[in-house]
Amino acid sequence: MIGFVYHLQDAGIPVSVRYILEFYRALRRGLARDLDQLFLLARLIFVKRVEHYDVFEQAFASFFLGAEGTTPAVAWEQLIAGKPFQQWLRDQLEQGLLTPEEVREFDTEELLARFWETVLDQKGEHHGGNRWVGTRGRSPYGHSGRHAGGIRVYGRSLHGSAQKVIDDRRYINYSDQSSLSNENLRQALTSMRSLRPLGPETELDIDETIAKTARNAGEIELIFRRELRNRLKLFVMLDNGGYSMTPYIPLVKTIFNKLRDIFRDVTFYYFHNCIYGTVYRDPERIRSVKWEKIISENKSTRLILIGDANMAPAELMAAYGSISLTHTVRKPGKEWLQELKTAFPVSVWLNPIRKDAWARESSTIQQIGRIFRMEDLTLAGIKEAVSYLNVQGQTYDRQ
Amino acid sequence: MQFEGTERYYLSPELREIVNIAIAMGKPLLLTGEAGTGKTQLAFEISRSLDLRMEEARCKSTFKGEELCYVYDTVLRLNDSRFGSGETGRDVNNIWDYLRFGPIGRAFLAEDRRVLLLDEIDKTDSDTQDNLLDVLEEGSFIIREINHKVSARQTPVIVITSNAKRELSDPFLRRCFCHYIPFPPPDEMQIIVRLHFPDIAEPLLDACLTTFYRLREQGFEKPPATAELLDWIGAIRQSGGRGPGAGKEVSHIGTLLKRTEDLLKFRGVRRASRF
Repeated sequence: MIGFVYHLQDAGIPVSVRYILEFYRALRRGLARDLDQLFLLARLIFVKRVEHYDVFEQAFASFFLGAEGTTPAVAWEQLIAGKPFQQWLRDQLEQGLLTPEEVREFDTEELLARFWETVLDQKGEHHGGNRWVGTRGRSPYGHSGRHAGGIRVYGRSLHGSAQKVIDDRRYINYSDQSSLSNENLRQALTSMRSLRPLGPETELDIDETIAKTARNAGEIELIFRRELRNRLKLFVMLDNGGYSMTPYIPLVKTIFNKLRDIFRDVTFYYFHNCIYGTVYRDPERIRSVKWEKIISENKSTRLILIGDANMAPAELMAAYGSISLTHTVRKPGKEWLQELKTAFPVSVWLNPIRKDAWARESSTIQQIGRIFRMEDLTLAGIKEAVSYLNVQGQTYDRQ
Repeated sequence: MQFEGTERYYLSPELREIVNIAIAMGKPLLLTGEAGTGKTQLAFEISRSLDLRMEEARCKSTFKGEELCYVYDTVLRLNDSRFGSGETGRDVNNIWDYLRFGPIGRAFLAEDRRVLLLDEIDKTDSDTQDNLLDVLEEGSFIIREINHKVSARQTPVIVITSNAKRELSDPFLRRCFCHYIPFPPPDEMQIIVRLHFPDIAEPLLDACLTTFYRLREQGFEKPPATAELLDWIGAIRQSGGRGPGAGKEVSHIGTLLKRTEDLLKFRGVRRASRF
């Protein structure tokens, strides 16, 4: 039976010792009299989320029934940030199989397709030359300014558009300084924690009431104090399309997940570069959320947008500006953002690019900075953002 | 102690096994799934089938967990100390007269085993959830005011439901047996409808279910669920209708689709495009 447990773990289901002990206890009680019951028992004990049901069923089938398991799909975001892909890309660049220009122009799927082709088939070295150049067409993103479409690569690309990152690595070094990292996560958390409004005065202060009552010679006087609980709702919208954001996504998620305790509700949404009337509930940006639903939120809901705000000016200003072909939205990004700001007066934009580099990086940063209060994703920036949100929030919490 | 379901509630064999395993292992059973799949109902059925009394806690977002165990009524005591407790029989010097027990407290203090339902746990804070699970796992809580420990005389059968409005925390999930109740497929739905309308004619039932499942597939914001189906069939029978209607002419559509947007979509009215 222990083999089954490891089998589950290999399939990606988190297993703890506690489950194993429970499983054995249940077996000893004779709760699994046949295979069906064993299946249910094991699922009850080991699987806690419906997302894992499918994986579990396959693992169970392959272990007990000898069926073929399938490999779980890999999230492409992870893949791109991962080492094999980056290594492959570097090799391609060094060997001249791909030129930096091509990297910039191909979109993600294209690059990934090539990656699979060469790495998985193990044929990469033999092709050589310029076989691929021009054979698979250009990036579909071409219509809105080229440098926005390319993938931002070269090791840990942190800032800037792909062009700058590949040609000119001067941004890479300083970006690590005192921006968000595991080490200063705790400090950032502490400052986020002060993002709590005071509740209504509904809690009875018993000590104070008794003291007052005694002083009043027994005439009861009830003293209420503000409830300190946080009833705050928080929306976090993450730009996970640009690779300048990729290194920060796990960190940002950790922070806000830890904050779930003190917020009533933390919801994550994802977008790519700019918002055009849709944000997505999943990192792959497939499940979209109705715009009306988002902007009809209570005005006291806090909104934190996190993104580099760095895009081709056309993406922000022009009609049909989205860099994605599937988007055909006439209203320019700027107006959508304005709408968002009106719906969420208590909002702030956090930018992974450091403040002193904003002017240099892109004009769109300033444009967006005029709509949303913008801070950078450093400790000081987060502190600023939090105090800004607290001040703004006071007006709306009372309503 | 074997749970077998009752004549008013259709219990899939899988769910029956699961309930029995959870009872045998003495673990809280966390039920998730779409609204209208009978999560809450299951707890009532367990209580009826096993002949156990029910303690029910409908969770609210303001809960801190403690009020489910006990409430200490300070204001009443203060009032009594000032104005006297009169004929009520309460003694101001005795704190027990001012402690009121919540569902968990009652389930723990009862001599008999009870079914404890924590409905829609996801409405509460994650702190509250963790506190509650501590209490349930240890089978005891402490009345802070007098530092008195209340221990369960009988471990209750604990059923927790969640609409998954919010993710539950991992430690919470770890302590429960979790089961996702899928939406019943047509053949199970037939049995369910027959439990409520034993004399329904076969053709009507078939027609209704066909329309119902077709509607569910159309991606409405709030797809109709079991409760809506039963209301709908009830309405059709009440009004003496012979069939569910077809196309845009489905009768009593209001019982199936509750949201204005869904209704408009069903009638084919397009909202003004925003682009």
